[in-house]
Amino acid sequence: MRLSGRGIVTGLVTIFSLASVYILNTGNATRLILSLLTFAGIYGLSAIGLNVHFGWTGLLNFGHAAFMGMGAYVTLLLVPHAAGREGEITTSGLHIFPAAVIGVIAASLLGLLLGLPALRLRGDYLAIVTIAAAEIFRLLVRDLEGLTGGVYGIISYSDSLQKYRPKLLDSLLKDIDASLNQVWVGVLAWFSIVIVLLILRRLNNSPWGRALRAVREDEDAVRALGKNAVWLKLQSFMLGAGIGGLSGIFLAFNYGSLQVTTFVPLLTFYIWAIMILGGVGSLSGPVYGAVVFWVIISETDKIAGLIFENANGQQLAGVRFALVGLLIMLLMIYRPSGLLGKKEELLLNVK
Amino acid sequence: MLDQLGNGLMLGVIIAVSSVGLSLLYGVTKIVNFAHGELVALGAISTLFFSSPETSRLLYLDRFSPLGLDFGISIFFAILLCGFIGGILELLLFRPLRKAEVGNIAVLVVTIGLSILIRHLYLLFTTGKVQKFPLDLQRRETYLFIDLTPRNMKILLAGLCVMFVIGCFLTFTKLGKAMRAVRDSTDLASISGINSDKIILSTWVLSSMLAGLAGIFQGMINDIRWNMGFLILLLIFAGTVLGGIGTSFGAMAGGLLIGVFVQTSVALPFMEGHTEAKNAVALGIMIIILLVRPQGIFGRKERIS
Repeated sequence: MRLSGRGIVTGLVTIFSLASVYILNTGNATRLILSLLTFAGIYGLSAIGLNVHFGWTGLLNFGHAAFMGMGAYVTLLLVPHAAGREGEITTSGLHIFPAAVIGVIAASLLGLLLGLPALRLRGDYLAIVTIAAAEIFRLLVRDLEGLTGGVYGIISYSDSLQKYRPKLLDSLLKDIDASLNQVWVGVLAWFSIVIVLLILRRLNNSPWGRALRAVREDEDAVRALGKNAVWLKLQSFMLGAGIGGLSGIFLAFNYGSLQVTTFVPLLTFYIWAIMILGGVGSLSGPVYGAVVFWVIISETDKIAGLIFENANGQQLAGVRFALVGLLIMLLMIYRPSGLLGKKEELLLNVK
Repeated sequence: MLDQLGNGLMLGVIIAVSSVGLSLLYGVTKIVNFAHGELVALGAISTLFFSSPETSRLLYLDRFSPLGLDFGISIFFAILLCGFIGGILELLLFRPLRKAEVGNIAVLVVTIGLSILIRHLYLLFTTGKVQKFPLDLQRRETYLFIDLTPRNMKILLAGLCVMFVIGCFLTFTKLGKAMRAVRDSTDLASISGINSDKIILSTWVLSSMLAGLAGIFQGMINDIRWNMGFLILLLIFAGTVLGGIGTSFGAMAGGLLIGVFVQTSVALPFMEGHTEAKNAVALGIMIIILLVRPQGIFGRKERIS
C-alpha cells in the first residue's frame, strides 16, 4: 500500500482522537473505546456502501437507513427471535449465516426496486424520492405489527450470533471491563470492512469500476460508448444497498433488541456526515471518518455538561445532534473533500 | 370519508401555504431547502414564546421567560421574526455560498445540516414537550357540508386569502414580476436591469414568512413540537412536487390536494386500523407523480432526468 502524506495525516488524526478519548476518560476508557470502535465499524461499513452510491456513481441517496433496516429486519425475522406486543417466540429459524446472506440480498433487492424508477431522476429529485421511500419503509415496518413486531420491536435474537463467539475472545477479554457481545459484533464488523474494502478495491480498478466513475463524470459520454449507463447505476445502487444491509444486521446485533426508531432519517444523516468527513469517493476514507466521528460524538456529552447542569437524556441528544448538523454544514462549506477525498473526484459542483 | 374532508382541508391549507414558499425559493435560487420545515416550526415556537404567560415554564434556560403578549401581536412578531431569520440565512450563509459558486448538491447537503442543527437547538431551548397555544376549545359546526370549528374555519379562510394575495403579488406587483423573471432566467433578468441579489433576498424573506405562518396555523389546529418541522417537511415536498416544483400556483393546489389525500385516505378500506401510516400515502403519491409526470400537474415540461 502506498503511503501518501494525506494518508499519514489521516492516520495520525484518527490515532490522536482515540488517544484523547483514552486520556479524557480515566477509569472506563477501555470499555468506552471498545464500544466506540464497534459503532465506528458498523457505521463505517454503512458509509462505505453510501460512498459506492455517492462517491463512485454520484447518486444522491438519502434513504440509506431503509437499506440498513431491510437487512436487519429480514435477517432477524429469519433467525429464532421474539417479536411484537406479546413477545411471540419463534424458536425455529435459519442458521445466522444464510439468514444474513438473505438479508443482504433483500437489501440489494430493495435497492433494485427503488433504483429502477428513481435513477431516471435528476440529483435533487432523487434525494427527495429516496428520503420519502425510507420514510415509507419505516412507516410500513411500524404499521405491519403482525409481521415485524411494529413499535414493540424484536428481541431475543442475539444468541444466534453470540453462540459462535470464539472462546479465544472470552479468554482474551477476561480481565477487561467490556461487553463481550458487543466486542464480538465489533470484530465481525471490522472483519467485514476489510473483506468489503478488498472486494471494492478490486472492483474499483476493474473495467466495471472505471465505467462507473465515467457515469459519474459524464453520463452521455458513457452512453455514446455503448455502455448501458442506467444498468451501471442500478448495479452500483444494489451493491451499496447490500453493504448498507450488512451494516444494518451488525447494528441490530449490537443493540441486542431492534426498535423501528433506529432507522429514522437521522441515521442516514449520521452516515452522510461520516462519509463526508472521511472523504467522498475515497475507498477507505469512511473508515477513518467513522472513528473520528464517533470520538466526537462520545465527547459531546461533556460539552452538554458544560451548558446544562445535570443534563438529561434529551439535552444530551440535542447537543449531540446539533453538533452533527453543524459538522455537516462546516465540512460541506470548508472542506467538502473530507480527510482523504480527492478534490478532482468531487462531484459536488455539478449544476 | 366526508367527515375527514374538514381535517384534510386544514392540513391542506398548512401544506399549501408552506409549499408556496418552498416552491418559490426553489424557482428563484434552485435550492432544495431541507431547512424549510424548521422555519415552519420557528413560526409556531416563537408565537408560543411571545404569547405564553410570563410564569409558564417553556424553556430550559430560566433566564428567558415567555413574554405574555396578546396572541394577535405575537403572531405578527413571529412572522416578522421568521422573515428576519430567512433574510439572515440568505445574507450570512447562502449568498456567500452562491458567490463562491458552490454547487447545488453541496448547498442541498448544507441545508440538511442546517435543518438538523436548528431542529436540535429547538430541542435544547424548549423542554421538548408537546405544547399548545393558550386558546379555548371550540365545538365543531357544519359549514355547507364540512365539519369544522369556527376558529379552524377562520384559519382556512385566512389561508386561502393569503394564497390569493400571494398570487396577486406575483402576478401584478413589480417585485412579484421580478421574482418570476429571475425564476425563469437569472441571466436574462440581470440583463434587464433586475438586481437578482435583492430579488433572492426578498424571496428568502417572503418564503420564510409564509413558512412561519403555516407553522402558526399548524400550532393553532394541532399542537407544537420541537420536531414539527421535519414531520411536515416531507408532506411539503409532496405538495410541491405534486403541483410542479418551481410553480407557485401549482404548489398551492398540490398542497391542498396532499392534505385532503392524507386525511381522507384514513377512510380507505385497506387503511382500516393503519391510520398511523397515512403519511405513507402522501409520500407514495409523490413518488408516483415524480415517475409518471415529473413536472407535476401544473409544471412545464423540462429535463429532469
